[in-house]
Amino acid sequence: MTTLTAAATTAADLFDRLLRDTAPFILDVRNPDDVARWRIEGRNTLESCNIPYYEFIEDADTAIAMIPTDREILVVCAKEGSSQFVADLLLEHGIAASYLAGGILSWGHYYDTREIAHGSWGTILQIARPARGDLSYLIVSGGAAAVIDPLRNTQPYLAALAETGATLRYVFDTHVHADHISGGPQLSRQTGAPYAIHPYDALHPIDMLPARLDYTPLSNGQIFQLGEALITTIWYPGHTLGQVNFLVQLPGGSRFLLTGDGIFLRSFGRPDLGGQGEAWTPLLYESMTSRLLPFLTDDTCILPAHFATLDECDTAGRCTDTWGTIRRTNEALAHLESPDQFSRFVLGNLPHFPPQYVEIKRVNLGLSAPSDAEADELELGKNICALAQ
Amino acid sequence: MHINPDQTLDVTGAKCPMPLVKSRKALGELPVGQVLKVIATDRGSIADFQGWARAAKHVELVAQETIDEASGSLYVHYLRRTA
Repeated sequence: MTTLTAAATTAADLFDRLLRDTAPFILDVRNPDDVARWRIEGRNTLESCNIPYYEFIEDADTAIAMIPTDREILVVCAKEGSSQFVADLLLEHGIAASYLAGGILSWGHYYDTREIAHGSWGTILQIARPARGDLSYLIVSGGAAAVIDPLRNTQPYLAALAETGATLRYVFDTHVHADHISGGPQLSRQTGAPYAIHPYDALHPIDMLPARLDYTPLSNGQIFQLGEALITTIWYPGHTLGQVNFLVQLPGGSRFLLTGDGIFLRSFGRPDLGGQGEAWTPLLYESMTSRLLPFLTDDTCILPAHFATLDECDTAGRCTDTWGTIRRTNEALAHLESPDQFSRFVLGNLPHFPPQYVEIKRVNLGLSAPSDAEADELELGKNICALAQ
Repeated sequence: MHINPDQTLDVTGAKCPMPLVKSRKALGELPVGQVLKVIATDRGSIADFQGWARAAKHVELVAQETIDEASGSLYVHYLRRTA
């Protein structure tokens, strides 16, 4: 008798199939608490269920009877071992099953690089961490590069820089993030490019402690020339006090606006993660209705720092749209008639405040230095930076 | 912890699902009523043994403890066979 051995599905394969809406049925065999904190999400048609692996060990027949037999199954666990165990068991019962290589851990660390725009002037790349819904950008023009909102693992940026042959000139964070650990300071140390943030964000809003890291202060209306691209900073307080948007203008007139946690495709960034929701909501209103408006044309492409669901990405994985579309389709923007209406809407739709977000800001300000395992633990789960849907 | 196990199973270094697979086998070989002490290094075993004890018909999770050692943490589970 031959023992059947299930094949591995890589995180890259999984992401590609999630985007094309051809993903297998997801059988998550972790314990329910872990699944509640972080699970694989795809387009809204994705089907999945959670049956812990110990139920397959305790009573295999009952557990297997709960699984569709006419579908391809992808088994997922924390690291890999249990999903391999269950996938082998399913194969022996005639069910087509594979397991996710490296488990949810490798899914969480999967980075995906896609091209947003390309021309004789250069390239804009979007570098995503799909499991968390985190987005970052590399702009290359005339042999010079800028990275905006780099995520924790700096390798994808170093690889993209090496591929383009460009020299990194600037590392920008649109703001000091609360939901994930920035790769900015490390990328700056690795390349010698300055790390730049707005000084209002260089103070922990809850601890009231100043940053312990080197940074170059950004201010409103600065213009950076990057090859043929012009990058203009627009101060946009609200999600944080020192958030800035970056307007990228290219030869020929194309415009891209990197909105950080300002405007998302289907929502916008919540103003309460600094612990000052009521005070910062009016600032956000002014940012949206006055500070940013002069820069927004209908053909400006919005490039946000997050998505909340994969349905915001096209089949190639690109998460972007024009302001002309977003201003009509983003329902969260339909509450801007008055500051009072806006405040009622925002303060009535704040999601749960993940407690680890206070510590993540400490890490991003150099006030705390977690080990890799502790950093993984802090970054568990998808971002919760947008208002509730 | 004042629990006198009838038998001890060392699954240090074993990766999921082996700590649980081996514990289930060892517990099945004990007489009803006896207590098995399991020593693991996989942190996920804390939640997984709790879930397993709820799902299994003849397993009682008597206690769990974490012992911090210089070489890393040990996760100790005390399981009683109830039927």
